Amino acid sequence: MAKITTSQFEKGMFIEFKDEPHQIVEFQHVNPGKGSAFIRTKLKSLKSGKVQEFTYKSGESVEEIPINVFEMQYLYKTGDEFFFMDKGNFEQLAVDKNIVGNFANFIKEGEIYQILIHEDAAVGMRFPKKVRIKVTASDEAVKGNTVSGAKKVVTIETGVQITVPLFIKKGDTIAIDPETGVYLERVGQT
Amino acid sequence: MQTWQKLKKNPKLWQKFFIREKIIQSIREFFFREKFHEVETPLLLPSVVPESYLEVFETHLLDRQRKKRRMFLATSPEASIKKLLVAGIGNCFEITKSFRNTETGSNLHNPEFTILEWYRVGADYKDVMRDCERLILHIYESIFRHAEFSSASNTKRKKILKQVQDDKMIKYQGNSIDLSSPWERISVPEALQKYAHISFDEITNKSGEMFSKEKVAQVAKEKGYRVEKKNSWEEIFNQIFLNEVEPHLGTHGKPTIIYDYPRPMAALSKIKETDPRLAERFEFYIAGLELGDCYTELTDYNEQKKRFAEEQKIRKIKGKTSVFPDEDFLEALKAGMPKCSGIAVGIDRLVMLFADTTNVADTLFFPLSEFTP
Repeated sequence: MAKITTSQFEKGMFIEFKDEPHQIVEFQHVNPGKGSAFIRTKLKSLKSGKVQEFTYKSGESVEEIPINVFEMQYLYKTGDEFFFMDKGNFEQLAVDKNIVGNFANFIKEGEIYQILIHEDAAVGMRFPKKVRIKVTASDEAVKGNTVSGAKKVVTIETGVQITVPLFIKKGDTIAIDPETGVYLERVGQT
Repeated sequence: MQTWQKLKKNPKLWQKFFIREKIIQSIREFFFREKFHEVETPLLLPSVVPESYLEVFETHLLDRQRKKRRMFLATSPEASIKKLLVAGIGNCFEITKSFRNTETGSNLHNPEFTILEWYRVGADYKDVMRDCERLILHIYESIFRHAEFSSASNTKRKKILKQVQDDKMIKYQGNSIDLSSPWERISVPEALQKYAHISFDEITNKSGEMFSKEKVAQVAKEKGYRVEKKNSWEEIFNQIFLNEVEPHLGTHGKPTIIYDYPRPMAALSKIKETDPRLAERFEFYIAGLELGDCYTELTDYNEQKKRFAEEQKIRKIKGKTSVFPDEDFLEALKAGMPKCSGIAVGIDRLVMLFADTTNVADTLFFPLSEFTP
């Protein structure tokens, strides 16, 4: 780890906060009335994903955490762990389900994902804003919802069920926001 | 894209910017009704009040022989107005520009900003607390009427008038605040106890070296803050304050007046007679925005002279631009300043509040950040 001061802060940088790796989501300078300069930050915990505010004294030293981003192929899941492989050296890496989070519903075997690694352990994952996924089974329309257009529930290739507009058919490819699990658009038809 | 280009493209944006003129107009209305004089003081000054936390803009005046003389841009109109108070002007206010160097890279500061100051003679900070409550309500009513009236029918106008009378709610970033008086009042020691669970006695001494660094550092370390040798009592204290107290100010449904600041943050305010560790100074917050800073003014020439020297010393240690202290201001205090209380309010922050925007740059036609991307 390298010691830096607040003057070296950059958006996206990883630092140690309360003994845990955090990413600087946002930072700005503030001067309280008749007070010294301070740096107000929004820090995202790599472990829990929780974002919190913290105000540093200007010039305060913090530990920067060296984080490496690896492109890895998702292989399989056992228990609470997801296994990924580095295609360069075929080494495998276990990623805890807490790090994968909601994304577990949309992760596909054989696809490449970005894993954030600190001291040989996975501390985070970068998720795409959109995932393209195939509809494998389609049910009937849900009754009653006429205000915003009728909706129905379909099953996608990862086995998860999601709500989509009526016109979606089995075999279509749709785009989903992996963070919220919300249907975005149809991107391919059978 | 520059702001003028955005305005040309999307004329709807003007409305947000016109809130500024409405605020300034209603401030003038308020103080003229109170029979205050409006004054104008210089932005270009040969000397300033040395304040350890402010960096100045320095420039040069050239005479006809091109002989240079160092000059500074005013960091506030305070010293000039106080000279007028000594001269006997009585209650007065000023709306002007002030300049504070190095205050870049922030949503809350623009190095050139618009400041309102007013001074009430024969008053203390409690009187100015009431002024703040009344002034903000007056601005609120003016803006509310203006915004809703421009397109309203007669029956709708009546309804709006009634609503303005019944309901003093403002919404800032989803936070609803009732502006009607009385506002919440809490002292710094009380807030420290309530939100940071620290007693003021734990971080100070009642006599001797009142602001012992060891004491405040101990408490900060126990809370997990990093304390370095170079940190002052004020820095350690303010870090706890900003992290644990400030998020609660003006965010629980009412504006908050937080008063009685520790002496290291006394600036030009009078020390409390009942507790020499505290100064008669308050700030007020609405929905988490720090909007104004008030003192019962220090009128004691000797004490002010002492603080000048202390602040100059800290400026030097901190590597701030060396300034000529305003000796003429000390001379005025020596001549006798009437008992009074005064406040500085950030007009740009008021615009932020009423326009419901989180960045001061969004309230300015020409924010500095557009010139220095």
